[in-house]
Amino acid sequence: MLDDPKPIVSIDNLRVEFDTGEGTIVGVEDISLTINPGETVCVVGESGSGKSVTSLSLMRLVEFGGGRITGGKLEFRRTGGAMQDVAKADMDAMRDIRGNEIGMIFQEPMTSLNPIFTIERQMTDGLRLHKGLGARAARARALELLREVRIPQPEQRLRQYPHELSGGMRQRVVIAMAMACEPRLLIADEPTTALDVTIQAEILALIDRLKRENGMAVLFITHDMAVVAQMADRVVVMYRGNLVEEGPVSQIFENPQKDYTRALLAAVPRLGEMTGKPAPEPMRIIGAEARAQPVQAPRPDAAPVLEVRNLTTRFAVRGGLLRRRIANVHAVEDVSFELARGETLSLVGESGCGKSSCGRSILRLVEPTSGSVHMDGRDILALTRQQMRLARRDMQMVFQDPFASLNPYMRLKDQVAEPLRNFGLARGNDLTARVSQLFDRVELPQSYLRRFPHELSGGQRQRVAIARALAANPKLIIADEAVSALDVSVQAQVLNLMMELQADLGISFLFISHDMAVVERISHRVGVMYMGRIVEIGSRAQIFENPRHEYTRALMAAVPIADPAKRTLRDDLRFKPLPSPVHPLSYAPAPSVYEEVVPGHKVLVPDH
Amino acid sequence: MIYLLNRSVSFAITLLLISVITFAVTNILPGDVAMMIMGTQSNPEALAGLRESLGLNDPLVTQYLRWIGGMLTGDWGTSLVFKEEIGPLLLQKMTASSLIVVMSMTIALTAAVPLGVWAAVHRDKWQDTASSTTALLGVSLPDFFWGIMLILLFARALGWLPSSGFVDPGEDFLRALKHAFLPSLALGLGLMAHLTRMTRATMTGILAQEFIRVARAKGLPERTVVWRYGLANAIGPVMTVAGLQVGYLFGSIIVMESLFNYTGMGWLTYQALLNRDIPLIQASVFVIAAVVMLANLIVDLAYVLVDPRIRLG
Repeated sequence: MLDDPKPIVSIDNLRVEFDTGEGTIVGVEDISLTINPGETVCVVGESGSGKSVTSLSLMRLVEFGGGRITGGKLEFRRTGGAMQDVAKADMDAMRDIRGNEIGMIFQEPMTSLNPIFTIERQMTDGLRLHKGLGARAARARALELLREVRIPQPEQRLRQYPHELSGGMRQRVVIAMAMACEPRLLIADEPTTALDVTIQAEILALIDRLKRENGMAVLFITHDMAVVAQMADRVVVMYRGNLVEEGPVSQIFENPQKDYTRALLAAVPRLGEMTGKPAPEPMRIIGAEARAQPVQAPRPDAAPVLEVRNLTTRFAVRGGLLRRRIANVHAVEDVSFELARGETLSLVGESGCGKSSCGRSILRLVEPTSGSVHMDGRDILALTRQQMRLARRDMQMVFQDPFASLNPYMRLKDQVAEPLRNFGLARGNDLTARVSQLFDRVELPQSYLRRFPHELSGGQRQRVAIARALAANPKLIIADEAVSALDVSVQAQVLNLMMELQADLGISFLFISHDMAVVERISHRVGVMYMGRIVEIGSRAQIFENPRHEYTRALMAAVPIADPAKRTLRDDLRFKPLPSPVHPLSYAPAPSVYEEVVPGHKVLVPDH
Repeated sequence: MIYLLNRSVSFAITLLLISVITFAVTNILPGDVAMMIMGTQSNPEALAGLRESLGLNDPLVTQYLRWIGGMLTGDWGTSLVFKEEIGPLLLQKMTASSLIVVMSMTIALTAAVPLGVWAAVHRDKWQDTASSTTALLGVSLPDFFWGIMLILLFARALGWLPSSGFVDPGEDFLRALKHAFLPSLALGLGLMAHLTRMTRATMTGILAQEFIRVARAKGLPERTVVWRYGLANAIGPVMTVAGLQVGYLFGSIIVMESLFNYTGMGWLTYQALLNRDIPLIQASVFVIAAVVMLANLIVDLAYVLVDPRIRLG
């Protein structure tokens, strides 16, 4: 396979530019790579590395985004065996290649399908166009494809519209669509980034199986080193529009040649690497030693900062003429835990499990239905609106999207100063001094004080969000997927900053995340959520080294490991789709009952 | 189904509210029907007698119920000015004006949708600028200006179309169309500008979506991508805005009908207002409101056919 001398794709010195109002931006400066038949080449890089631009150029789709191929060759072996430079191909030839000889899948399954056409129409139009099939033959082929990607009840699916399918199902449909004309090359641009980890595992395995069964080459674009380790035959590392390093997957992971590759790999936490370690450890950042060791373990005798008892949050489903409440979404169901001073408790789970709703309920950003939340012994849910406002001083939140959580029209210093002003904590020179201290604290240069959010990178913005959360000296910070949108190297820096702040200031973190490897590295305790409940809670070692609940095990088994020697792909729909959290008004769920396996390690008793 | 029921019920409720408002407002205005019939200089006793016989001394609620009862059973009363039964009169004038409204909407949509799509496809290029400039010109100038220009060009200079008058579509449909054409075009121009911008904005958003890129990656020809995948998604929002514009059209029609001396609903309402023909005012306002709402109801229902996502809600 690898010794096939005739590559299917050969890219030489590709250069792509984008014309913008402010001048020309170079999207790809100089990239050369080859793909052999039947081979998976992973192109990996952080945002802005030009990895997507490269793949879009190969399809000549980059032009629709304002890009221009200004140099180099993009040779693709056509069905006849001759190489054609697609950079110079006319649009007719490109239409013949697209969807027919090269299939492509994109990141967002939710928006990849046209919402107002049936699945059948979208699956068959390519077949009718490229293969000249009639309606009946195209439908038969579509059914065959849906079976191939293991979609249950394919006849029914064909009649459905995209919104009637789950995200995982949609991505299967998108893959089936891309496979329709049996392309010899499949380009997958971050195909699992928007998916939950269990569904990601299925989709990765599916792509891998289709590749093996059809002898297809795959160009796989991703930012995730763990996915690379699971998928790649060869790896191409990109940075700012240039090629950094290229080689077989084992070589890249075991013996990387370039500093950038080493740094990238170092920053990726690997699930299982913390086994046997007593305390969280800082993220590895090459060339920068962590300034403070993370908090070892909070004192067990100390009174908890946060105490959550039987917290339940339900959202109304309204319907009918009068928009009355006709059902409830059981978002958080009888959740209890406590959080000690200086401790990090992580809530993990997949989308829809209730982890974010839980965080918001504690801050009363959504109003819980019942239960109690005590912060330093004070009943949070009993507070009046005015008291609650003041209580938020002690409990702050950092959100996932630093682009959306900062006001684009306010200077950064004003945004960081806002909590100080709101709570009347500082004014005048004192205020200015405090804000500039906070900038120092999150390691942002003072010159950024007067800037606006759009002038910063994603990681810098998240630092501003953290500075703002720190401003009022909170005891608790709820970080809701706070590093999920960041590149790995930046993620590592932000996580280390959080651990330093915890060590220095004794802040407690409720860390809400879907990323098991990050959670394993930074948490003292972990709670696993499923269907609104905590199904298992315990110390990091208890959860990761001795998972008891079926769901915890399934979740861990699905996490890709950033080590090509540990491949875990298995394509057999192991994971059942989430049952609906919507229940009729009369539904009274049973309380959560736990079995304490060993002190501190609780597992939800089944049948709940 | 629930959606359909929902829309229909809210249609009925709104119509009821409109009837109450119409009735209330016309009763607050100074002067009443009796005075309108007898004149201001009339004998107070005769006036009182007429009031009594017309039921004007009854409580307002009773009067309202009598009026709405009549409206619902087809007895719309008699116009004071035209001395005619209001029902048939309104039907005729409404038909005449609906012809203009439908024509101007057709003209506007036929031009606006392709123009808007064209502008969106060539976003930030000269085609886009040209389309936006034209659209801006269209909305900035009042529609009577276009009316005058059209009369000058098509009626005076070229002599192709009549500049004024009204022909009942029931008698001679083709001539009726000719007479309605210029006022429709004048109204349609302003509307077109509006709808072009709307189509452009909607299409720009849709063309930036991932499913468009997926359609291109399937190798579909660009015209299929834009006109099938793209436009099918834009048509709903554009239709919704077009539906809302029906109300605006019935407002603008007063000026346009006067300009073209076209005796439709606008002209009728104007006469009714000028002469304080209260029964006619009430009935016309009610009918116009009902027609505008009906147009929007039809748009909402058509939306269901276009967009499968609404069927569930």
